[in-house]
Amino acid sequence: MKKLTWLAVALLAMVLLAGCKGKAADAGADSRLGGEITFWLMPNAPDETHNPWLSAKAAAFERETGVKVNFEVVGWGDAWTKISTAIATGEGVDVFQVGTTWNPQFAATGGLAKIDMNQFGGSSSFMAANLASTSYKNEYYGVPWFAETRALYYNKTMFAEAGVTPPTSYAELYEVSARIIDKFGSGSAIAIAGTSAWDLLHNWAIILWANGGKLTDAGRAAFNGPAGVEALSWYLGLLERGYAANACAEYNQPQADSAFINGNVAMCFMGPWNVANIDQENPTLQYGVVEPPAGSAGKASFSGGSNLVVLEGSRNKAAALAWIEYLVSDSSMIEYTKTLTHMMPATLSAYNDSYYQSGIWKIFKDTLSYATAYLPLGVWGDIENAIVNEFKASITDAIGGRSDQAAVRAHLDAAADMVNAALAKEK
Amino acid sequence: MKITRLNNRAAAFLIGPALTAMFVVHLIPIFFGIIMAFLRIDVSNLSDFPRVPFIGFDNFKYLFTDGSGVGQRFLSSIGNVLIYGLVTIPVGYVIALAVAMLLNREFKGRTIVRGLILLPYITPDAVMYNVWRFIFQSRVGIVNSILSGLGLIREPIIWLVGDNALIAVIVASIWKGWPFTSLMLLAALQTIPQDLYEAARLDNASWFQRLRYVTLPMLWPVSRTLLMLSVIWNFHAFNQFYVMLGADTASKAAVPSVVILREAFGTLHFGSGSAMAVIMLAIILLLTAIAVFTKRERSVE
Repeated sequence: MKKLTWLAVALLAMVLLAGCKGKAADAGADSRLGGEITFWLMPNAPDETHNPWLSAKAAAFERETGVKVNFEVVGWGDAWTKISTAIATGEGVDVFQVGTTWNPQFAATGGLAKIDMNQFGGSSSFMAANLASTSYKNEYYGVPWFAETRALYYNKTMFAEAGVTPPTSYAELYEVSARIIDKFGSGSAIAIAGTSAWDLLHNWAIILWANGGKLTDAGRAAFNGPAGVEALSWYLGLLERGYAANACAEYNQPQADSAFINGNVAMCFMGPWNVANIDQENPTLQYGVVEPPAGSAGKASFSGGSNLVVLEGSRNKAAALAWIEYLVSDSSMIEYTKTLTHMMPATLSAYNDSYYQSGIWKIFKDTLSYATAYLPLGVWGDIENAIVNEFKASITDAIGGRSDQAAVRAHLDAAADMVNAALAKEK
Repeated sequence: MKITRLNNRAAAFLIGPALTAMFVVHLIPIFFGIIMAFLRIDVSNLSDFPRVPFIGFDNFKYLFTDGSGVGQRFLSSIGNVLIYGLVTIPVGYVIALAVAMLLNREFKGRTIVRGLILLPYITPDAVMYNVWRFIFQSRVGIVNSILSGLGLIREPIIWLVGDNALIAVIVASIWKGWPFTSLMLLAALQTIPQDLYEAARLDNASWFQRLRYVTLPMLWPVSRTLLMLSVIWNFHAFNQFYVMLGADTASKAAVPSVVILREAFGTLHFGSGSAMAVIMLAIILLLTAIAVFTKRERSVE
């Protein structure tokens, strides 16, 4: 409560201040660049390398355009609240980073500036799923920055000892897991995220899609059919069959990642950024990466990442857009993704760099080629909440030994009702 | 006369900053919070914040008619926080009273022990509850290693998910909360005149009778205040749940503050979030009023 009160104070104080200043300065932006802009971004790379790179880029940009960029790295946990405050007050920041699933929600608030993609080389110059994540009601409200997706990491040493090869289908993943726990004991096959993970839906959606399911169809929830039940049962089965440790039920994604990185489990669905964690924490780990397994309907992957957006209330939109242009240009993009963040570029031209033609980067590039983004809806937050809540309830059932097809079905039906209620509110 | 006026001025001077601070950080936000509960403000019009329409009690109606089930989650979270309070408050009180009575005796190093028992209370919540989260972790947590070391369990127990989550938070909260109660009770114990105990002894009262007829009645004024404070604090319990279990509103240990945080700040439905906050405020005000009212009754007696 106390925390809520403080947040309310912050929000209100900013509203009052905003009211005093008014919007008179809006008209001041002309074709000549200059002035200052504020840029918020997330800790996409370790501070020691991230901050110097940003300072250098900001200085170079200032020399080129005369625009001073004040950047501030904001943790993912605080970013959502900070951005919603900026949107409610119409000030505080000019350009900021949003997660791809955030973009349509913030666009729906009316707080983001529309983007003309022609300024950024047209809509065909971006990865299709990332581009889709910037749209809301057929307008663009962001510029794709970097892309990410999860693929299957496997421990080569454990795989060799158990005499198995990386699975190419979800059924095979079960078979491989059975062989691994025979050799290394219960819970050693795979690490998965549980109830502490905010990003749980990303892990499940790809199984649903691979089984031919859909999250929504024609404006109604569609994940509670047979494909959904099968996908959720498969995920819970990892716990129930002892392929994943019961402890995974309380994990968030980084905890699951650590279990793999420390060499305790043989598989984990992780993103390209995890390569940096392995280099730092367990450089001798012998690992490989393969595309996510296929289901009955083929392969599927989730397209995530981040976009750059401009605050509608910004007084220096021209400079803000120029800064985005600068960041997504090939040279900045390749440096930022290749050497700093280990994310994947969201611009197609950056992939001409030979770095992305080999090794695990090629695997991630290939995985991204068929990746899907969630629907760009203002009420997406409610939808994701509803599904994830019931997902977590199913995990709780599973570790309590209370889960069966009927229980899974009941949870998905409950989530579908809530999702339909949310979809009805989408204006 | 002169002294009184001087005292008054000094008092105004000293209380002034506190009053101003309370007004700015508590009353004004509460006032705006209440107003927001009657505005249509959600994800679709957040950027129009100051100009959003007034919609009367629609936010309250929405809570219990909307298909998203937010009202049900809110009600069950109130149920959770009630269970939490019903266990945490009495258990914490008994531990605190026992320790206070022990510390009220003369023994060597008493002052040091009195200082030490405050340690849990003075450590920041975020730090302590994170430590408790580690303690209860199923794979590496010390609770499970002790239990399996004693041969009490074969499989590690999952503490932070499902039915056990509330137990874990209750244990941590009792541990964190009792020193404060103990300190208050110790101070009260020291004000009990010793002749009361001597008189009781002359009447051949047993230890239990002295506790029942002398100590507890003499502690009642302090106990009542403590009870009132604990009820209020427990109702907006947030830190322990948020740090140990995260903002999971589906959890069997979700509490109202977490549900409100999610609704207002997570999915940007500030109107319905504020409506829930107003309901919480009303419940707490009601409880406080009851506590204050019964206090007055007693002092009339």
